[in-house]
Amino acid sequence: MNDLSQASASAFHLLLSGNSEIWEIISLSFGVSFSAILIATPFALLIAFVLAFFKFPFRRALISLFNTFMSVPAVIIGLSLYLILSRSGPLGDLRLLFTSKAMIIGQIMLSFPLLVAMAHASFQAADRRAWETAITLGARPFRALFTLMYEVRFGLIAAVVAGFGRVVAEIGCSMMVGGNILHSTRNIPTAIALETSKGEFAQGIALGMVLLVLSLGLNAGVSIFQGKGDLHT
Amino acid sequence: MNHLIEYRNIVISLSGKLILNVNQLAVPSHRCTLLTGKNGSGKTTLFKIMSGLLKPHSCSIHYQGLDLSWKQAKHFIQKDIIYLHQQPYLFDASVVDNIAYGLYRAGENKTNAHKKVIQALEWADLSHLAHRSAKQLSGGEKQRVALTRARILSPRLLLLDEPTASMDTDAKKQTSLLLQRLKAEGISIIVSSHEAQTIEEIADHHFHLEQGDIIKAPAKSNKITKLNLAKKMQ
Repeated sequence: MNDLSQASASAFHLLLSGNSEIWEIISLSFGVSFSAILIATPFALLIAFVLAFFKFPFRRALISLFNTFMSVPAVIIGLSLYLILSRSGPLGDLRLLFTSKAMIIGQIMLSFPLLVAMAHASFQAADRRAWETAITLGARPFRALFTLMYEVRFGLIAAVVAGFGRVVAEIGCSMMVGGNILHSTRNIPTAIALETSKGEFAQGIALGMVLLVLSLGLNAGVSIFQGKGDLHT
Repeated sequence: MNHLIEYRNIVISLSGKLILNVNQLAVPSHRCTLLTGKNGSGKTTLFKIMSGLLKPHSCSIHYQGLDLSWKQAKHFIQKDIIYLHQQPYLFDASVVDNIAYGLYRAGENKTNAHKKVIQALEWADLSHLAHRSAKQLSGGEKQRVALTRARILSPRLLLLDEPTASMDTDAKKQTSLLLQRLKAEGISIIVSSHEAQTIEEIADHHFHLEQGDIIKAPAKSNKITKLNLAKKMQ
């Protein structure tokens, strides 16, 4: 108990004293995850919309595929990407392995199915009249899509937050394709794993606290935003 | 009689069942037309095809002196024809923003759009609801906002799907009044309705949809039938 309180006190000290190593890890972690979500979201939303609003062959099979990929372990994605990006792999010449770009690709692959599946559920629950009304009032299809997205914004934001939550805390993929290299690819989860294995709990707890604060902040933000999202009477 | 637009050979099947097989439908210009038909007779489907929202299996259109396929005409008809759902959809925004939606899409600037919206609200006697959330309005108010939102775009044809369904008497009267004003402004209107009595006061023509095709019924048919019945009773 004494060790835990000592480690926690040291963790606070590390964070508040502006320890450059810790803040570098935090900034890399957020940079990689934000980039991944930023790249994945527009494509995922577009695919989710097409799956919900248009009928075409193999549509149901595609929906099932995205739902299945949603639960694929991060380490499997990491292993597949490692084999693709390694020197002998098909994309080995790009020399992306053990770089933050490889981590971003991995996190895109992780978040994409979740984003598509959750956004698809939101679009599916949307009122088709919203789309038709936008079109009949002169909106071009792309503008009508934005109108529809606004109408189902609560579900879409929940999808993005869930996607970010999945990638910012994942360890398997980042460890395999990033390699946990200090000043280069070390992010919060891989740093926590490393420090814990060394018995350096203070840094691990400090980084864990950042993840907790982030999680609370995101949930609070979504709750405030959805405050007006009650049922209309 | 002048025709605004003429649709020919409208054919559509849904889930393998033939829904519409309309040989010819000529929409009278500057007139109000009542469209009747049983539930499931294809009134809504017909409106969606006419407004460019639903692609038919086949359909040719004569519009503004041109003979066009439905696909070629889609752009023009989406610009000039507005379809209103049975329960109109209002966006999750204020009444003002809902009415301004189409104006912004047409490239209107904010100042002009605001002026037009204020005038439109006065026209429909909706000024007191201007800043209310559209989602919180009653059914009748929603219908009036939707009619105002359509009218502000100066459409050439309005397709109204059961506009007075499930409304109380007052709301029906107000909606009917707006329809009369729209007709007086020269907008061609087709109204599908079960409650022919409400619309017949305004309607100049009567089309009936039966077995997927349009049958031209005599104008004021219900009233005539009722008068005949009354005479027989005497």
